[in-house]
Amino acid sequence: MSNETQKEYQRFNLIERIQHVILFTTFLLLAFTGWALKYPEVEHYSKWWIGIWGGPKTAGIIHRFAGITMLLDFIWHVLYLAYMLSTGKMKLRKETTIVPLPKDVFDFIKNMLYFFGLSKEKPQFGRYNYIHKFDYWAVFWGMGIIGLSGLFLSFPVWASNFFPAWSINWIWEVLYVMHSDEALLAIVFILFWHFYNEHLKWDKFPMSMTWITGRISIEQMKHEHPLEYKLEFEDKKGENK
Amino acid sequence: MKRGLVIAFLCMLLLCFSYYSANAKTFTPLEKQGFLTGGKCLACHSAMKGKILTEKGNLVDVNVDGERYSKSIHGGFDCIICHKQFGMNPHKPTAIGDVPKDIAVSASKISHKAKVDAVALAACSECHGNIYKSWQNSIHGRNVIQKKQPDGASCIDCHGSPHYITSKKTETSTINKKNVVKACGGCHEKEELAKKYNFGTHILERYYESFHGKKYILGHQNAPVCTDCHNYHDVRQWEEPMSPVAWNNRTETCGKCHKGATKKFVTAITHKPIGRDNPIPYYFGKGLTVLLLSVFVFIVSHLIVEAFSEIRDRVFRKKKEEHHE
Repeated sequence: MSNETQKEYQRFNLIERIQHVILFTTFLLLAFTGWALKYPEVEHYSKWWIGIWGGPKTAGIIHRFAGITMLLDFIWHVLYLAYMLSTGKMKLRKETTIVPLPKDVFDFIKNMLYFFGLSKEKPQFGRYNYIHKFDYWAVFWGMGIIGLSGLFLSFPVWASNFFPAWSINWIWEVLYVMHSDEALLAIVFILFWHFYNEHLKWDKFPMSMTWITGRISIEQMKHEHPLEYKLEFEDKKGENK
Repeated sequence: MKRGLVIAFLCMLLLCFSYYSANAKTFTPLEKQGFLTGGKCLACHSAMKGKILTEKGNLVDVNVDGERYSKSIHGGFDCIICHKQFGMNPHKPTAIGDVPKDIAVSASKISHKAKVDAVALAACSECHGNIYKSWQNSIHGRNVIQKKQPDGASCIDCHGSPHYITSKKTETSTINKKNVVKACGGCHEKEELAKKYNFGTHILERYYESFHGKKYILGHQNAPVCTDCHNYHDVRQWEEPMSPVAWNNRTETCGKCHKGATKKFVTAITHKPIGRDNPIPYYFGKGLTVLLLSVFVFIVSHLIVEAFSEIRDRVFRKKKEEHHE
């Protein structure tokens, strides 16, 4: 191979990687410190577990601190996206966007047909396939539901000002159910969806190093993101000629 | 200036010492104090085992664990300080006239409640007068005294056997923070009492499900227990104006922890059962459970199908891929 040929492709820049690291460290902290409060009736284990996190009081402080950090990280990400899009540093293109498109539904069906051996053709994915998109937008859902309810539950006196009078009889129960049930959903989701797709998969085990380096090999890109590869390299080659 | 400080210091020291010695005296075991009857009663009662049937039909344990008693907070007391009726001949109560009048009056009011010795139960008021008074006015006290019911907690229903009462700071105390919710639950979870007095048995369950209760189970020091909001001796129904959870007192009561609590905020806490009376959170919760399960089924089945197809590709279609590359 000549020096001119690129071996790796920069998939995520430094800011995106930092946002991801903050997101998953706070996520793990939140899951760990909140877990004992989800099932305290299993007294022996919940007490032992909360003890590891410094007892219920300290765990509560860690939980709030991590929660606020995560929300700030989320706001940073949204502002960053707005900046990147408005300055044209990031462009909305159907091959690279994270926005769900009708193609994703067809990709899903194609993928299923392939999995069941009914088709020999794998779907051609862009920069983000439907699995990535599901993974990404699930965070938005979680931020909205768990983040907002968590914020209200941390500052209940302040939050009570926002709720209309007719809701006060049930709003707190709803907030609690939202926070607790959706947190469980988030944990299950990360454990099965994200862990399988980014860690346990045959060619990724034990994990893809992309989260540290931000790079992905060209071979892998051709294999996993063929449409993006075409857009980035083959079309450009054509232009250069 | 300096001299004044030294004198003040010495006075403090003296105070501490006198306080310590006074306390030490209270806690020396009975036998060493040479009380008239204490040691003598316990000579038999600490060795006796079994129960006797009283005239009223109550089964009463005749055993008093002398050692445990002497370690309890009243362990320095002579038996007849409370069992005032048993003056000289221990098993033939003297006339109630010998008992101080106010205690005799109190005893007659609660005689249907006391299983063994109403005078001894009323004798609590001799030292704990104010507490006894506020108990008399509480919903528990009024049920016993005014409504003449055998239910309604008296001193020993919450504090446990009068012979083994320890400071509430000790873990064995029935009203220690670790045990006090169970103490309330002793009656408030009983079906027959709930039916008779029209209160719900779900209250403790709902408390344990709340954030307050969950934190309490985990041992959070600031987690409120029943008595923090409902008072302890002066427990009242929430509709009574003097109850700390009455509509007009709630902002103050909740404000003890939640600074700046408003009227709107204090409605947050009820012990209402989810479901029948409170359908919105109930069905909302069910909806979220359905969502959780369907997402779970989707991701797990996607994962399994994908994993099998990957294995198939690696094992059975290996040659083909190699050929491709």
